[in-house]
Amino acid sequence: MIEILLILLAPVAGGLLYGFERVVRARMQNRQGPPLLQPFYDMMKLIDKQTLIVNPTHALLGVMHFVALWAVVAFTIMGGNLLYIVFLHLLASLFLVLAAFSVKSIFSHLGANRELLSMIAYEPILVMFAVAFYMLNGSFSIDAVRANPSALGSLLFLFLAFLFVVQLKLKKSPFDAAKAHQEIVGGAEVEFSGLFFEFVYMALWLEYVFVYLLLMLFAGDNILLGGILFCVVFLLVNLVDNATARVRMEHLIKIFLGIAVSLAALNLLGLAYV
Amino acid sequence: MLTQILILSPLLFALAVLFAGVRLRNILTVVFVVFLAGVSLVHLLFINEPLRYDLPHELHTLFFFFDALLLLFFLYVGIAKKDPLVASLAASQIVLYAAVKFVNGAVGSSDLLIDNTSLMMYLIVNIVGGIIVIYSLKYIESEEFSRLKKNGFIAVLFFFLGVMNFLVGTNNIEIFFLLFELTTLCSYILIGYRKDTISTQNALRALWMNQIGGVAILAALLLALVSYKTLSFDLLIANIDTAYLFPIVFLLLAAFVKGAAIPFEKWLLGAMVAPTPVSAILHSATMVKIAPFLVLKLSPAMSGFLSEAVMLFGTFVFFAASLLALSKNYFKEILGLSTIALLSFMMALAAIGTQEAILAASILMVFHALSKALLFLQLGILEKEFHLKYVNDIESLMSYSPLVVFFIVFGFASLTLPPFGVFIGKFMAFESFAAGIQESPVFLAALLFSALGSVFLTILYFKVLTKVFVRDMSLGDSKRKEIACTYKITSWALSVLLGVGIVWSLAQRLFGMWEILIPALLIGVVPLLLYVFVLQNAQRVKEYNCGEKEEVVLNMYYLHTPSAVQKTILILSLVFLGSLFVGVAL
Repeated sequence: MIEILLILLAPVAGGLLYGFERVVRARMQNRQGPPLLQPFYDMMKLIDKQTLIVNPTHALLGVMHFVALWAVVAFTIMGGNLLYIVFLHLLASLFLVLAAFSVKSIFSHLGANRELLSMIAYEPILVMFAVAFYMLNGSFSIDAVRANPSALGSLLFLFLAFLFVVQLKLKKSPFDAAKAHQEIVGGAEVEFSGLFFEFVYMALWLEYVFVYLLLMLFAGDNILLGGILFCVVFLLVNLVDNATARVRMEHLIKIFLGIAVSLAALNLLGLAYV
Repeated sequence: MLTQILILSPLLFALAVLFAGVRLRNILTVVFVVFLAGVSLVHLLFINEPLRYDLPHELHTLFFFFDALLLLFFLYVGIAKKDPLVASLAASQIVLYAAVKFVNGAVGSSDLLIDNTSLMMYLIVNIVGGIIVIYSLKYIESEEFSRLKKNGFIAVLFFFLGVMNFLVGTNNIEIFFLLFELTTLCSYILIGYRKDTISTQNALRALWMNQIGGVAILAALLLALVSYKTLSFDLLIANIDTAYLFPIVFLLLAAFVKGAAIPFEKWLLGAMVAPTPVSAILHSATMVKIAPFLVLKLSPAMSGFLSEAVMLFGTFVFFAASLLALSKNYFKEILGLSTIALLSFMMALAAIGTQEAILAASILMVFHALSKALLFLQLGILEKEFHLKYVNDIESLMSYSPLVVFFIVFGFASLTLPPFGVFIGKFMAFESFAAGIQESPVFLAALLFSALGSVFLTILYFKVLTKVFVRDMSLGDSKRKEIACTYKITSWALSVLLGVGIVWSLAQRLFGMWEILIPALLIGVVPLLLYVFVLQNAQRVKEYNCGEKEEVVLNMYYLHTPSAVQKTILILSLVFLGSLFVGVAL
C-alpha cells in the first residue's frame, strides 16, 4: 500500500527535490535563488499556456518518455529486477531521443545525437552496477538488496563509477553536453512547449528520483546510511556542477569508457576473486 | 515418418512448381507452405523424446555420388570462372573427401537424430521460411526474367527448405557435410541469380568462403575417424576426450564460416545484391542459422578453455559487428551486420552450455528469425513499391505508407525492447554472463562486450527509426499508396507470430507478468489512446529551431570507424580464431 502511495507521489517528490536543489545551488553561488516550490509554479504556468505542437508523434513521444520513466521508478520502488529496470530505463530515454529526431530542428537533432552518445557512456556502468549486486546477493532483485546489510565497503570503486553516472543523468556539469543550454539550447527538448514541455520537465524530476533510489541501494537495509549517502552525494553533485566546466562529448565518452568502466570492472573482479 | 515427409516433400514441391503456370504455381506454393508448417507443428506437438532413424545403405552410396558430383561441379565453376580460390578449395575438398572414404570403417550410430533443437529448427525453417517463399511469389513477379527462371527461383527456395530440414536432423557428419555443401550451392545459385557482374562476383565469394567451412568439416571428419573411430555426432560428443578437441574446433570453424562471423562476414554482406527474399531467407530461416545450431549441437562437448574461448570470440564479434554497423547507411548492410552480431552472440551463449544459456540461445534463434524476416520483407517492399534503398531516403515514408512504417517499427522494436523475445533472450544472456564471473574473468570481458554491443545495436536500430518518424506535414495524404496484398498478409503473419511469442513468454513465466505487460502497454496501447483523445484539437506550429532561418538537410547520425579500427577488428578476430587452435593443441 505504502509503495503505491510512494509511486503516485514520485513526481511530486522529484519536483521538491529539484526545487530544493535550485535553492542549494543558488546559495553556493551566493544568490538568493528561486522559492522551493518554483518547479510547481512553472508547472501551473506551462499548463495554462495554449497547446502548440510541431507534430503529434513528437508530442506523444515526449509524454511517453515521462510515462515510461514513471514505470521505471515504479518498478524500482516495488523492488523489481535491477537489470530489467536498467533496460527499461534505456527504453524510456529512447522515447525522448525518438521525439527529438521526429522534428526538423537542428538543435533537437544535435541534442538527440548527444543523448545517444551518452547512452554508450553510461549504459555499461549501469549493467555492471546490476551485475555487482547480482554477485553479492545471487539475484537481480532489488528487494534482496534492501534486505541485506550495506555493501558499500566492497563496492567502493563501483560507487565512484556510479557518481559519474549520477552527474551525467542529472545533466550536471562537467557531463551535461547533451543538454548544454548555451550551445544547443536544451538539445532534445528544445521543440517542446506548453503542456508537453511540462511532461518532459517532469520526466527530469523522475530521473532525480530514479538516480537517488539507485544510489540508496549502496546502503542496503541501513536507512541511516542511506540518508547520509543521499545528503553527501546531493551536495557533492551540486558542488561539482558549480565548480567544473563542461567537457566535450568525445571527452565525456573517453572518460566514461576509460575511467568509470575500468573502476566498475575492477570492482567486479575484486568481488569475484579477492 | 513425419521427418521423412519434411525432408522429401519440399524436393517434390520444388519439381512441381518448376513447370507450373503462374496461377497454379501460386496456389501450389501456398498449399505446400501451409502443409510444411502444419507438419512441423504436428512434429513438435507429438514428439517428446529424441527420435532415431537409419537410412538404407543404397542411400549412402547415392549420397557419395552427390558429394562427388557437387565437388566436381564446384571445381568446374572455379575453373570456368577462373577463380583460383574456388577451384583450389574444391580440389582440396576432393582430396580430403577421398581420404575420408579411404579410412572409412567407423562405428556407426543412427543417421537421423531428431532432438528438441531439431524440432525448433523445423519450426524456424518451415514457418518463417515458408512465409518468405509466399512473399517471393509476388516479389519475383515484378522482375524481368523468363517464366522458367522465375519458377526456378521458387523451386530453389523449396529445395533449400528441404535441405535445411534434412540438415537439422542428421547425426552423420558425412551426410552433414553433403547438406552443408548443398546449402552452399543454394546460396551460390540464389546470390548469383541476377547474373550481372557484381552478382556473379559476390556469388563466387560466397562459394569460396563457404567452402572453407566444407574443408573444415572434412578435416573434422577425418580426425574424428582416425582418433575416435566414428562419424556420428552423438558418439563423437559422448566419447569426447578433452585432451583432443580438434574435430570439435574444426566443426566450430565451419559454424563461424556459415554464421559469417568476422573475419568471414564478407560473403553474407555480399549476398545483398540478390533479390531481397534471398537475403530474407538466408538471414532468418536458413543458411546462417546453421551456425548457432551447430554450436548448440556441439555444446555438450565443450568445456573449460574451448567454451570460454568461443564465448569470448562470439561476444567480441557481437561488439565489433555492431560497431561497424553504426557507420553504414545502406539498409541491407545495417540489417546484415546486425545479423552477424546476433548470430555470434547466439554462438557465444550456446558455447557456455548451461541450461539457461542454451535456452537463451534458442529463444534468440526463434525470435531473431521472425524479426529479421519481417524487416527484410519491408526492405523488399520499400524497394519494389517506393524505390528506396538507403536509410537516409526513407524520410517521410510516414506520408506514403503508415503500414510499412508500422512494420518497420515493430520489427526493430521486437529486436530490442521488452516484452519481445529477443529482449528476453538477451536478458537471460546477461544473467548467464553475470553468473559466470566467479568462475572465470573471461565472463567479465564477455559481459562488457555484450553490454557495449547491445547499446550499439539499440542505437543502430533507432538510427533507422528516427528517419521513419520524420513527417512532412505539408504532404498530407496525397502520396498515400497501398502495398500489394501478398506483402501485407506475409508481414502480418510474421507480426502475429511475434505477438504469439509474447503470449508464449507470459505462459512460460520467463518473466513476471508486469514486466511483460507494462512495456507492452507503453509501446502499444498508451500512444494509441493519447493520439485518439488528446491531439485532435491541438494547434500546429512550425519548428522553433531557435530562430534559425537557414534551410538545413538533416541526415542520420553516423559513427565513423576509421580504417585503423577496422583493421584492428580483423586482426583481433584472426588472433581469436588462431588461439582456438593453439589453445586446443596445448
